Amino acid sequence: MSSGRSVKCVVWDLDGTVWDEVAIEGDGQSLPTPRPDVLRAIDVLAERGILSSVASRTDPSLLALLKSTPELAERFVAPQLGWGDKSDSLRRIAAELGIGLDTLAFVDDTAFERAEVAARAPEVLVLSPEELAARLDEPPLLPPVLTDDSRARVRRYREDSDRKAAAASFGGSREDFLRDCDMRLAVREARPSDLDRLLELATRTHRLNSTGEVPSAEELRSMLASPEWFVPVARLTDRFGSYGMIGAALVERRDAAWRVHLLALSCRVAGRGVALAFLRWLMERSGAGIEVLMRPTSANLELRVLFRQCGMRVVEQPAHDLAVLGAPAGTPPPDAPAWLTIVEEDS
Amino acid sequence: MSTDAVVRELIAEAIGQDEAVVAALPGDTRLFGPEVGLSSLAGARLLDSVRERFGVDVAAEDLNLDALESIASLSGFVDQHQR
Repeated sequence: MSSGRSVKCVVWDLDGTVWDEVAIEGDGQSLPTPRPDVLRAIDVLAERGILSSVASRTDPSLLALLKSTPELAERFVAPQLGWGDKSDSLRRIAAELGIGLDTLAFVDDTAFERAEVAARAPEVLVLSPEELAARLDEPPLLPPVLTDDSRARVRRYREDSDRKAAAASFGGSREDFLRDCDMRLAVREARPSDLDRLLELATRTHRLNSTGEVPSAEELRSMLASPEWFVPVARLTDRFGSYGMIGAALVERRDAAWRVHLLALSCRVAGRGVALAFLRWLMERSGAGIEVLMRPTSANLELRVLFRQCGMRVVEQPAHDLAVLGAPAGTPPPDAPAWLTIVEEDS
Repeated sequence: MSTDAVVRELIAEAIGQDEAVVAALPGDTRLFGPEVGLSSLAGARLLDSVRERFGVDVAAEDLNLDALESIASLSGFVDQHQR
């Protein structure tokens, strides 16, 4: 197991793990009573931003019972009940949550199931119930840094399912749906208390990240204190809830065009015009235009297309894999997304 | 089918528009302009499908992505760089 592992979801077996009994041997009207220590562990994990799900080899019709039992329905996301192999259930859970197999932990009292998962999904962290209890308060089940944003992950997952359900049942166009969501992008200068989240954004974003360079905490702290740097952060909300702090930029204030050393946005907000709105706001805020440092990677093509959309081209190439992009003065930015309102907040 | 016709199909697919509509646009129609309205996400998808279809990696060969200027500039770029 690598020390850099992070766990985003713990997948629980039911019979013999969450409860002592075998559910299909019950009355068919209700499920066995969960063990209090398991419910406590699930709640402790949720406070750390770690989701819980279910992979149980049992009659799939028990899913309806699980979903109608509030203490279980509210704790388990994307539960998988069926006769198939658990490694397949784990793959479905990872796909449904949009996370990697290597961010799953799997808890089962049966050695056979643990061995099946270890063999066919070796990326998954496999634990017996005793091992989980013993390791609950150490990494990777206890993340080294806990930001408000990672803590809110469980709530955000639920809001996201509401959003998906609303989008699926919405009658109009995609743009009409986006308007209906009432999205607001709140921007302000970063405070010292935002430091952990800034680091998290620089480290964990790839698709919407302009250079992939991660500043040290010390460098960031001095940027926040320096009048030569402008470090804006952005939060996104809509009628379903809050996405949290989803974007940031490290901008060098200059007399000429301000220079954006890093633009980083969470891929949670991709496809909603947020990157364009944030970049437009930066262009307006500067007054003298902006230049952006850009290191092309296999992941950040979307951001390069965005810069091209804003009329930016290479004005300088300090290294073979690093370019400075800029737009000639007076280049009009593309229209702002009509469905998104920008709100400037005091820092 | 000509390169230009295929490129127009890929554009239509990327923006979720009817193929006949994109086929009828003038060659100098700007991809980021109101008629096509290419978003950054759709643009990245378009370059992926161009690479798959023609083996031309616009992202790797054109740091400025000038090929995304218009319909004709994209199909011209593909024509020039096709193996």
